[in-house]
Amino acid sequence: MGATIQAIEYVFPKNKVTNKDLALQFPDYDFKKFDDKVGVSCRYYADEDETGLDLAVQACEKLFQRIDSTTIDYILYCTQNPDYILPTTACLLQDRLGLPTTVGALDVNLGCSGYTYVLSLAKGLINSGQAKNILVVTAETYSKILNEKDCSNRAIFGDAATATLVSYTEEENFGNFLFGTDGSGVEKLFVKNGGSKYKLESNPELKMYGSSNFYTDNDLYMNGPEIFHFTGEVVPGFVEKLLEANQVEKDYIDQYIFHQANAFMLNFLRKRLKIEEERFFIDLRDGGNTVSSTIPIALKKYSQDITEKETLLLVGFGVGLSWSGGLVTINNKL
Amino acid sequence: MNKAEFIKGLEEELELEITLTAETDLKGLDEWDSMAAMLLIGYVSNEFGLTLTADDIKNISTVQSLIERIGVEKFN
Repeated sequence: MGATIQAIEYVFPKNKVTNKDLALQFPDYDFKKFDDKVGVSCRYYADEDETGLDLAVQACEKLFQRIDSTTIDYILYCTQNPDYILPTTACLLQDRLGLPTTVGALDVNLGCSGYTYVLSLAKGLINSGQAKNILVVTAETYSKILNEKDCSNRAIFGDAATATLVSYTEEENFGNFLFGTDGSGVEKLFVKNGGSKYKLESNPELKMYGSSNFYTDNDLYMNGPEIFHFTGEVVPGFVEKLLEANQVEKDYIDQYIFHQANAFMLNFLRKRLKIEEERFFIDLRDGGNTVSSTIPIALKKYSQDITEKETLLLVGFGVGLSWSGGLVTINNKL
Repeated sequence: MNKAEFIKGLEEELELEITLTAETDLKGLDEWDSMAAMLLIGYVSNEFGLTLTADDIKNISTVQSLIERIGVEKFN
């Protein structure tokens, strides 16, 4: 008895923002270098009245053109931009998709480590006999929580939603998953206001960080150097542990698919791990860093070229600080 | 790696149009921004196995101060 990733679909919002578009707003920023190093050419922002749930519905409906939605018995919805403080967005999704009222539905509030987390939960639900066909959804609209004058984050992050079907199968296609948490890093990547602790401010102070980037305590703040430091320190050792936990050698893995944070950072990690370019997925040119959606988008893209069964190592890392990863085997175009 | 090689390498890594010297104030460069900080962290980490923190970045001013942070004894 086991679980398998059957199919994946993803959507971007219609509003495409190219580096050229951003350069008009930030004339002093070197977008040529940004394109080369960070590896993002365009990203997509949701419209004013478009939410993560709207994007999620589109991704799910795309998936339902290929798979039978009536078999779904559980929804796992990963987001940090829920439509409401309450109720849970997964409940809204059940209704919007017209899924049976017998489904389980729950939100997972995690960012870039979210997809690997929800995959492991899906595996657990299936292997413990609690569900058979799980709709795993990621949806994020960071554009709504970025300051208009935050050039760095506007350039890196984009909005997207993905829908993955994880199903019961005879053969187990999920390996072991591992997790990591360091909550002491909470302020390195966070939105201070708007939760129970601090209310949104009506006239928040504009603060500068890095070089001419601005944010307020109502917006997302990211300490880039600290996040770089964190990934450099944590990810290589974590990958070694993942290989050990799955009792495989580095060469056994057909493709390493990490959270697509930024091409420079990914190449830095790849070299640290001594993995060849051909076996290390980097593609965030179209769409940028879409938080929990980067890994399913990468999986979908990568799987289009496979001709036989392949073993992939997935690793997510980011806000929390939080990281997670695991081994999956795929044998079809997702 | 000696100091001159390090400085030359840093100049290439940051794609600077000027010539760097030990006295150059990194933060004062036109090219200095969060991406430059990331490239700097990557370069130092690759060459010395030392991952600079945000505090290190904050405290660095001139190239010489960066060299001192890395450790003068590591340059031959």
